[in-house]
Amino acid sequence: MDRKLCDGQSRRDLIRLGAAGLFGFQWPLARLLAAKNSECNLIFLFLHGGMSTIDTFDLKPDAPAEYRGEFKPAATNVPGIQISEHLPILARQMDQFSLIRSFRHHNSDHGPADHYMVTGYFPQAGFNGGIIPNNQRPCFGSMVAGKLGPRGAVPPFVCLPKMHASFGSAFLGPANSPFIVDADPNAPLFEVPDLEPPMEIRADRLENRKSLMGKIDRFRKRGEVRANPAAGGVAAYQDKAFELMTSLATRAAFNLSAEKDSLRDEYGRNTLGQSCLLARRLVEKGVRCVMVDHSNWDTHDKNFQTLKRELLPAFDKGVAALFRDLKARGLLDNTLVVMTGEFGRTPKINANAGRDHWGPGFTVALGGGGIKGGIALGKTDAKGERPAADPYGPEDLAATICHCVGINPNDEWIMPDGRPTMIVNQGRKIEELL
Amino acid sequence: MLTILTASMMFLADGQESLRAVPPSFDLSGPGQYATVRVEGLSAQGNPVDFSSEAAIEVENPGIAMIFQGRVYSLAAGNTALRIRANNQEIKVPVRVGAVAPPVPAFEQDILPLLSRHHCNSSGCHGKAEGQNGFKLSVFGSDPEADYESLAFEARGRRILQTGSGDSLMVKKMSGRMAHGGGSRIPSSHPDYQTVLRWISSGAKQSDPSRPAVGSIRIDPPQATVGSGTTRKLQVFARNANGTEKEITAHCRFYSNQESLALVDQHGTVTMGNLPGEAVVVATYIDKTAVFRAEIPRQGSFQPGTANAGWIDLPIYQKLARLKIPKSPRCSDEDFLRRAYLDLIGQLPTPEEARRFINNKSANKRAQLADELLERPEYADLWALIWSDLLRVDRQALGMKNAYAYYRWIQRAFASNKPLDEFARELISAQGSLANNPQAALFKVVSKPGEISSTASQVFLGRRITCAECHHHPFDRWSQSDYLGMQSFFTGLQWKSQGKVEMLSSGATTPGSSARIKRQVFAYALGEAMPDKQPQGDGRALVAQWMTKPTNPFFAQAMANRIWAHFLGRGLVDPVDDMRDTNPPTHGTLLDDLAKYLITNRFDQKALIRALVLSDAYQRSSAVLPGNEGDEWNYSRYPLKPIMAEVLLDAISSATEVPEIFPGMPYGTRATQLWDSRQGNYFLKVHGRPARVSSCSCERLKEGNIASVLHELNSPGLQRKLSHANGRVARLAQSPATAPEKVDELYLAFLSRIPSPEERETAVKSLDNSKGSAKENWEDLAWSLMNSVEFLFNH
Repeated sequence: MDRKLCDGQSRRDLIRLGAAGLFGFQWPLARLLAAKNSECNLIFLFLHGGMSTIDTFDLKPDAPAEYRGEFKPAATNVPGIQISEHLPILARQMDQFSLIRSFRHHNSDHGPADHYMVTGYFPQAGFNGGIIPNNQRPCFGSMVAGKLGPRGAVPPFVCLPKMHASFGSAFLGPANSPFIVDADPNAPLFEVPDLEPPMEIRADRLENRKSLMGKIDRFRKRGEVRANPAAGGVAAYQDKAFELMTSLATRAAFNLSAEKDSLRDEYGRNTLGQSCLLARRLVEKGVRCVMVDHSNWDTHDKNFQTLKRELLPAFDKGVAALFRDLKARGLLDNTLVVMTGEFGRTPKINANAGRDHWGPGFTVALGGGGIKGGIALGKTDAKGERPAADPYGPEDLAATICHCVGINPNDEWIMPDGRPTMIVNQGRKIEELL
Repeated sequence: MLTILTASMMFLADGQESLRAVPPSFDLSGPGQYATVRVEGLSAQGNPVDFSSEAAIEVENPGIAMIFQGRVYSLAAGNTALRIRANNQEIKVPVRVGAVAPPVPAFEQDILPLLSRHHCNSSGCHGKAEGQNGFKLSVFGSDPEADYESLAFEARGRRILQTGSGDSLMVKKMSGRMAHGGGSRIPSSHPDYQTVLRWISSGAKQSDPSRPAVGSIRIDPPQATVGSGTTRKLQVFARNANGTEKEITAHCRFYSNQESLALVDQHGTVTMGNLPGEAVVVATYIDKTAVFRAEIPRQGSFQPGTANAGWIDLPIYQKLARLKIPKSPRCSDEDFLRRAYLDLIGQLPTPEEARRFINNKSANKRAQLADELLERPEYADLWALIWSDLLRVDRQALGMKNAYAYYRWIQRAFASNKPLDEFARELISAQGSLANNPQAALFKVVSKPGEISSTASQVFLGRRITCAECHHHPFDRWSQSDYLGMQSFFTGLQWKSQGKVEMLSSGATTPGSSARIKRQVFAYALGEAMPDKQPQGDGRALVAQWMTKPTNPFFAQAMANRIWAHFLGRGLVDPVDDMRDTNPPTHGTLLDDLAKYLITNRFDQKALIRALVLSDAYQRSSAVLPGNEGDEWNYSRYPLKPIMAEVLLDAISSATEVPEIFPGMPYGTRATQLWDSRQGNYFLKVHGRPARVSSCSCERLKEGNIASVLHELNSPGLQRKLSHANGRVARLAQSPATAPEKVDELYLAFLSRIPSPEERETAVKSLDNSKGSAKENWEDLAWSLMNSVEFLFNH
């Protein structure tokens, strides 16, 4: 809905005029124009809590009963690759994505493992998972934002439907923090909070406010903002906020109701499904990276029941629709989709019919963005506990993601104090999938 | 005589013959020893310079000694000399190597430190929980026995082959001769390579009990004043139990606490950055740590100025003078007013209160204001909010009734200025019915003995001991035994229900034990000696007594540091709950004095606050001077402090005179009065209110974010406060007073000050904007004030 104001002009038109005329961008115009649509996007579906991959992507029907669980493997559209019987729609998209079944890392705690999987760096001494953000290193989205910058007027990095504690930018600073959509895209009245001024604030008033603010704030005019990092951060966020507010493209990108009902149904009317749909919509409109924080995968109890009834139906629909839809729109070749938890779950079933945290062996799924589909890379041992050979870790995933989105994995960051540091911690890109 | 003197001065001024080695000669008892060669000289300006890292050093007889990474290593008995060239000079330094045969290498004394030094047992490598590629070491070498086992016996004994030490898996891997994920850690050119070979070929002994145990380690020099951009070579010595000392520099790991001030390499060479300040470098050796502190003065002229400083300010001035950092002037009355209101009671002054203070001519008015504010009821609300975070008043964990009673207990404690030691004692040793002792709720939120002892240590002692649950704290002195000893006090807790009444009691405590520590660990407190039997009586009462007795080394410091950080924006130890030997205070004597002040004044929080608020440090302006823009550690200027979510919301409500409505709470309830951190409110959530899932002060988000900024700019709720028909802005718009008078009122309401003539003119002019109605123009002006950095921060 685009209400007309009493003078006949739409408020949005005015805001748009303001955008072009008044507010500068952090990135030079030349840089923005140079950005090509062929550049690769990243959609990172974080299955927070830790997806049980022995029940989904790496079933062990021949393992002892206390390991293999209830689910049966089922054929996919790729001969020789079987996945869970509870992912029937996704099975028909198996040729679009691949599995790294010999994935592993050494940590089995939420917090450090999260940080490890979304940054490629295991946290060092002093890490505190309780802080938001807790990043010692930038997460993938901030890396993309920091290295490639925004494309058009939309933010380069969006996280939804909430801020995960490790989706921060660390030393890349506020300019490369995610734009956080703290709202459920499946809610009937979904909208990004506070992205627009209240209805009664006409565009000319907004301009007036902004220019007045610039004249009035004596701290911005003097050295205090530069000398105080916290205040400097707020000032930087304010500049960024004005860019977002005045961008028509930003609002269009977040307008999920512009999608057809039938498509929304196909993705599934749940948080994960609609988050996948919004992610696709955002990359289509120019956002480079969307990180989705989807919770509830921490199935210590009733693993099979929870997976079968809640998690897998939503995952199956949402992810299958995402691959189909990206492909249909010609976006799959330049959109890398990564699906992983912070770890997998213990192959051995516990006393509560659940599975516990397990870093030493799990599956990471990824497709699009130049990744070959239909490959099941590596394998785990007979009980699904550890990689049998060719293990891959978060460093390798980081190198592969960087390679796909167009960041040189051997490049460095220069930290604020002038020291260089490697973007990727000695990982190697996974050639078999490229 | 005069001629000679002049000549020698000329000599020095040219930098001639100023070069010297430290020590002036090297006496090594026998082969297999090493010593760091420090080379010092004078710059062209006559200032002492450390030339160690650039000096070229050669050994005259390479059969007797070799140089590696700036250290002389003895190879065989005999005499030789070092030729050292630096700063266009050359000196010769004698080296004598005795005939004492090197001790037969032993794993625990000689090899284990190397595994740490070369990062073999780091948490990212073989030290991680699952080990690396089938080879597991204890993290940081915390379990020497297990490490010896896994090297000597696992992998079918292939890791060390005594018959052909060079063919041992360990040697092949560490040198990179065989594919090794970690690369070449100890190449064959490295002296440590020979040590490992000798260890294996001499029988791979586990331990050498004849050698004295290491009691402590120290860095030489422990502290120094150094120029920015210069380097400094450190040496580390182990002090043995028998009083002898031995250099261990090449066996240590180094890190810098503040890398923007100084960097350190793995050989112990520190390079200072360009910022003035005090850098701290830490060396670790197995489970021992030592620190080096470097004061890096600012370059350029500096006027110390005269100051009649009190006990709080003297150490701050002394350090600023040493660092040559200028201090900003005393803040204005208006700044002090706003600061004191926000820090003492979490509220902004009303325009009337602001006027009264500004117009008060009394020389003593700042002290009067502090006294007044300390007696306001909002003081208790603010401190109850701060402590409800730390003590985790959580409705979800406790239920509505218990959580509220717990909160009220905390609030009453601050309202009555309950001495902090009593406050801590009553919490830690709480027992009986929850109805009569609501503070016992703490033990419902944290219920496991280990969790309770960690929480109590972090909150009341400022010490984090959780690391020591699994291994020796890598950067502090706490061992697993210390952890178990502390934990033991909190065992035996029992909850019983009698009808609807829940009762907490202390049962008998049990000694601690773990798979690694085979003996029983009886309850003992941090830093104390373990008794030979389990102490009798209520464990929590015992530990509470210990914690709060005046001689306790931690409690008063931790409390003083927390209060200091609240008012000055940064703890003397930062973070406030991470006090450890390797994170020393910026002003050690001041922290001691603050702790003493608390003890002398019977832990009277208000007395300490009053002293702090009247210090020069607290009354310093936040204006930046040339020379103190980079200083965040030495209180040379007042920082711009982020404002707590609740305080900021109250500030907006009071400036607009439109209260926030909290569902289920009485009309007019302020955000700082909310006892439940889960009370639904988007403003509070997005501004970083903690969910109280930990006792860490870090849980409260202090960093701004795009969502909180967008909310301030765009939220309909805040716009309603600006436009509300009964609010201050609408009232001003309609008031018959002149525009300048009304602008002054708005400035007082938001910024607690009168605008400057230019500011007033800008504001009045903005009201003439013909595109908007008069009311809208007033709203826009108020909005601009509300979104200014000046309003959003406490300065």
